[in-house]
Amino acid sequence: MRRRWKLNIGVLTAAVILLLSACSNTSDPATGNTTSPSATDSSTVASGEPKVLKVRFYDDPAGYDPANIFRIENENIAFNIFSGLASYASDTGEIIPDLAESWETDDNMTWTFKLRQGVQWQKGYGEFTSADVLYSYNRILDPATASPYAAEFNNVESMEAPDPYTVVFKLKTPDGNFLHQVANYHQGQIVKKEAIEEFGDQVKWNPVGTGPFAAEKIDPSSEIILVRHDDYYQGPAPIEKIIFSIIKDESTATIALQNGEIDVIMRSNREENLDILEKAGFKMNHVENYAASLKVFNLEHPILANRKVRQAWAYAVDFDAIAEGVSPRLQKGAKSLLLDWMEGYSENTTQYSYDPEKAKQLLAEAGYPDGFTIKQDGTSASGVTEQMQLEQEYLKAVGIELEFDLVDTPTYNEKRNSGDFDVSGRLLPAVNPDMVLFSYLHPDNIAPKGLNGARYNNPVLTEKLESARAEKDSAKRLKLYEEVQQIVMEEVPYLPTYAGNVYWPSKPNIEGIVINKLAQVNFYGVDIK
Amino acid sequence: MLSYAMKRIMQLIVTMFGVVTLVFFAIRMIPGDPAAAMAGDNLSGAALEEFRRKLGLDAPLWEQYADYLLSVIRFDFGSTITTSLPIAGLMLKALPITLMVAGFTMLLAVLIAIPLGTVAAFLANKGKKKLDNAITWTAMIVDLMPAFWTALLLMLFLSLNLKLLPASGAVSFEDPSLMLKRIALPVVVLAVSQVATLARITRTAVLEVLNEDYVRTARSMGMSEMVVVFRHALKNAMLPIITIVGLSFGNLLNGTVIVEFIFSIPGIGTLLVYGINSRDYPLVQNVILFYAFVFVAINFITDMVYKKVDPRVQF
Repeated sequence: MRRRWKLNIGVLTAAVILLLSACSNTSDPATGNTTSPSATDSSTVASGEPKVLKVRFYDDPAGYDPANIFRIENENIAFNIFSGLASYASDTGEIIPDLAESWETDDNMTWTFKLRQGVQWQKGYGEFTSADVLYSYNRILDPATASPYAAEFNNVESMEAPDPYTVVFKLKTPDGNFLHQVANYHQGQIVKKEAIEEFGDQVKWNPVGTGPFAAEKIDPSSEIILVRHDDYYQGPAPIEKIIFSIIKDESTATIALQNGEIDVIMRSNREENLDILEKAGFKMNHVENYAASLKVFNLEHPILANRKVRQAWAYAVDFDAIAEGVSPRLQKGAKSLLLDWMEGYSENTTQYSYDPEKAKQLLAEAGYPDGFTIKQDGTSASGVTEQMQLEQEYLKAVGIELEFDLVDTPTYNEKRNSGDFDVSGRLLPAVNPDMVLFSYLHPDNIAPKGLNGARYNNPVLTEKLESARAEKDSAKRLKLYEEVQQIVMEEVPYLPTYAGNVYWPSKPNIEGIVINKLAQVNFYGVDIK
Repeated sequence: MLSYAMKRIMQLIVTMFGVVTLVFFAIRMIPGDPAAAMAGDNLSGAALEEFRRKLGLDAPLWEQYADYLLSVIRFDFGSTITTSLPIAGLMLKALPITLMVAGFTMLLAVLIAIPLGTVAAFLANKGKKKLDNAITWTAMIVDLMPAFWTALLLMLFLSLNLKLLPASGAVSFEDPSLMLKRIALPVVVLAVSQVATLARITRTAVLEVLNEDYVRTARSMGMSEMVVVFRHALKNAMLPIITIVGLSFGNLLNGTVIVEFIFSIPGIGTLLVYGINSRDYPLVQNVILFYAFVFVAINFITDMVYKKVDPRVQF
């Protein structure tokens, strides 16, 4: 009996440990809470104090090794830490010099880059030279790195550094868009050999670059802190520190901005939250048309294989009106696979203005006077959106019964890759028009090998694509791009539906938030007034 | 008692083995994998295959399973696939935060619910139907409010309107006062539904006991109704209440998943959601393993506490 009693005491102790361990940890802070000096101090920055920018980060940080970096929000951090030979102007999307001061090519085959002198690495890793460029790009190509972006350099025959400030690339075939490959994005970002070797498999948490901000602390579960790189070649940035706090919930982020807990929301994706913030007087920094959403028709589907059916779909739905009605800030109707700020963009193509009669006529000609039923994939993350419901109504009016199949995002992607779908969707943020067209339309890229989910293969178009890439004369190249777009819009393997806008609402005193065409912000230009 | 405990521990091990196996295969049955989830829209086709190989996802399933079982036996949690960070480290950092939220919630819930439920029973017994009904119905309605909705309402009210508590900010032991302020809202949100459940259970349990002979005896001895209810009835009604408290501590860990997401609290729930979204198999496996352990352990402890509270219980 006595023994039992003792054991019970032990068990009871165990029972309360779960509760008490937590409580005992906090009994001290609880008393400190009444005075609570620290919280108020840290949240208010007096004038003359270092400028600290607090930014809402909307997803889990996934590491910052340029060889293995994914997703816009991570790319945005890397964009500020690293540099490429070239970069993108935030406002126009144009290619501008970065670590390379200038470049030249006569034939789009041999590219010679003159590097900037005196550029310093962050954290005392010395001066940047041509050896760093060769190391970085060879690292991407090294199978041991297993960089998914290695293929971006497939066309590179050789890389050489005749002196510390010159790099020469020889390509296998001419490429007028080669600068995109060495720009400040993915594989184009230049890393430091010593840092990479020092950090081994933890490289992604210890990025060292030549950009305006250096990584101070990366806590994958709560925050990323960047500090100013004082030796940045363009001079130190106005802001000394950027704290990215992970706030996943959109409403929480909205309240946090209203409360002044953060200065900027990196990407606010809900029309109603934008409404609230705009009415409350916050600054609505945004970029228009950063990427086009495409409807992907599976051309192997017996009904969708018929071009008239796809054209009928395009005529049947008024995407402009849906965007206007549902999300006037975040979307508008799209007119091409390319975006209006891209080189080669053209509206001189078949355009499908809303015309239900024509849609019905095309359906009848295609042999479906009474319509048909078809399934469209969607992600459970976004659910059945109002846009989708309205589209369903529009299609019903011409006899097409649209059903939705909602699955989680990896499944959604997998179905599109394997061809197990009728109609799906795709959004590809990009700045290089050549890359967009090649990815979607070239038979080499037919899924699962590439992004050509529609399984589109038109030899005439393929030929034009290939000659556009090799064309030295830019007027001729743009003409070829236009012809490609004309064929695509006539055959509609993909139907451009909406062009998306990206919003970063901020406090009114935050200046210089310019969202570039990759939906990134270069924090070098941001200041707190 | 000791042999019973041993028997329960054996059961615990078998249960855990089942959970480990189930989770291992279940997470792999969800379409998509860490490579696809990490790469998002950036990769497809051959590049994605290559990336898969690099992450070691091409090894045969049985081999992966055997490796995993061995690592569990060795208490070696390994590293996550997507971040290459050690899982044990991530969990040790997240655990105190979640336990603190859950612990405070339970404490707050018990402190409010038990007196509330007892009062309701007391009122019911006295024939004050209206007040009793008011408490019971309120509890029921509150119980039905989804946590994400309560969270938003409280955030709007306490954080935005009254500026009492922050909606965001770092949660770490380095800044304890901010940490307490940050977890205050989640604790209240979670406690709200706990209070509702617990209060209803308490009311029923106490009411039942109030019809027992010894309560009549106590009354006949001239004790005041308050003393009868709170000293004698409540004490004897504790058994079902303890069961519920124990079980709801487990449920609470589930509840923290949603609340941690809404309030950006870097606890175990956040870790789990991250693991599932990124299909980080080892991370999900180990976090679920931990959850299973907590559930089983709580059941075990509840049983043991039973014995203490009611010596008549025989094992």
